[in-house]
Amino acid sequence: MASNTRHDGRQDHEFRTLNISYDGLARVDGSARFGFGDTSALASISGPIEVRLVAEQASQATFEVLLRPLSNVPATEAKALGATIRSALAPSLILTKNPRTLVQLVVQSLSSKGDGTQREALTAAMINASTLALLNAGSVPMRGVVCAIPVGRCTAGDRETRLFVDPGETEISEIQGGGCFAFVFGDKLGWGDGDVECVWTNWKSTSGTFDENELSRARELALKAARAVYAEIKRGVKTMGAVPFKFNEKRVKEDVKKGLEAELKTEEGSNDEKMEIS
Amino acid sequence: MRPPSPSIPEKEFLFASLKQSLRLDGRSALELRTPTFTYGPELGWVECSLGKTRVLAHVDGKMVKPPPERPFEGMITIHSEISPMASSDYEIGRPSDEEVTITRMLDKVLKRSDAVDKESLCIQAGQRVWHIRLTLHFLSDAGNMLDCACLAGIVALKHFRRPDIEVIGDEVIVHAPTERAPVPLAIQHTPFCLTFAFFPDSETSPILDPNQLEQRLSAGLLSIALNAQRELCVLQKLGGVPLVNDEVLRLVDVAVTKAQELNILVDTSLREDWAQRKVEVR
Repeated sequence: MASNTRHDGRQDHEFRTLNISYDGLARVDGSARFGFGDTSALASISGPIEVRLVAEQASQATFEVLLRPLSNVPATEAKALGATIRSALAPSLILTKNPRTLVQLVVQSLSSKGDGTQREALTAAMINASTLALLNAGSVPMRGVVCAIPVGRCTAGDRETRLFVDPGETEISEIQGGGCFAFVFGDKLGWGDGDVECVWTNWKSTSGTFDENELSRARELALKAARAVYAEIKRGVKTMGAVPFKFNEKRVKEDVKKGLEAELKTEEGSNDEKMEIS
Repeated sequence: MRPPSPSIPEKEFLFASLKQSLRLDGRSALELRTPTFTYGPELGWVECSLGKTRVLAHVDGKMVKPPPERPFEGMITIHSEISPMASSDYEIGRPSDEEVTITRMLDKVLKRSDAVDKESLCIQAGQRVWHIRLTLHFLSDAGNMLDCACLAGIVALKHFRRPDIEVIGDEVIVHAPTERAPVPLAIQHTPFCLTFAFFPDSETSPILDPNQLEQRLSAGLLSIALNAQRELCVLQKLGGVPLVNDEVLRLVDVAVTKAQELNILVDTSLREDWAQRKVEVR
């Protein structure tokens, strides 16, 4: 992968087609589906509802996340991932408004590749689906909106490690580690980077070396892509499934480009290569 | 958590309308909500919806060593835990009566009725067999999850294709889907489950495919599992409603016609999906 273009013709900062839909499941308060290409997840939210006495908390609502893998019954891995998703979403929720209640999130994996090659993408899809379900329900007060994005890395000789967003099926054999980044967006709330804060990541390397610079580069790249995902979510929320979601590749490309341009202005344009967008 | 009972006005309204042969969703007494199927990117991934009731079925297969008492037979496992996604009434790890019934019925309808030929799943006697795992996810409960689950399960089994294998001496070669076309499971017959609900008032005629409210207020349920060839697999009656023989026979006849309709619907839907897929598989 010498040039900036990838196997499937995408640029480093482009993700696969997004699929967003609101399922309107009958007996939950909110539900939504989110997918990067074929890697998708379905989430449903119920709450605030009555809580079991054991789990009741006097000062805040209990936030429960149940994760269901596509095949077999949920085991340790699903529980671990459920805890991860819980920790990524919890900062965006204001649970103290509804003490002694339960907010129940059920995340259903819809992709069987989740336990292998597409793990990071599925984790990101699950977080995004949960966010959409929370927005769809509208019953839990929120501070911001959490968006997640998978990033892959690969090293080529002594050159700088190459980072790219949302590794696809064809790239999986080449990647050496990577991870998923989750950001919480809150317009005009003034967090770390203005209106956005990184709430969770599981960045890892399988090629032996790892440095702080690389992590911060990955975070920058992820943030740009996450902004585009956030923009898509924000657009969709206005109609909330009344108008079926359609992935507009051109629009998303422009969104990502806007993010890049803003970045370049502040950094006084050093890497012009990244600007080449077909 | 025990779900709250429907209110008295709801109950009275439903009973009064049923007495006039009217149903809340405008169906006639013996009308099924038309099932719709959505197929996923991979084979054996089917989402079946019956009105607002939705069940997702997923089939996968792997090779295992068979138990010594049945060396010539493959294995089939069905997972059907109801998650709170269906409704917050269901709790993980504490199966409700309904969940137990559904699990038992699925086992009888899909496994013990020999819908899938287990001997064809044998690769090497006593050494290696296919283990087919069917996982059912109850996404939304709007009544009659059992019928929806049975339908999703059987369609997923029919939709699934396992990789082709070759046995040379003691070696087993598994061919990737790109090399050789995957093979479907040997399905011997297609059972369908149909549920009728009875009401406390004996003058009210039984209804097919009850929705959630009708199911909650019913005095008894009769589930008939059978195939389009009129072969009865399971007949289960829940609740203490007394029934005359003739009534049961009449309902079996109704179920036969419905099963034949469903059979055509399922076959058409699978054929359409397969026609679309051929382009990708090559």
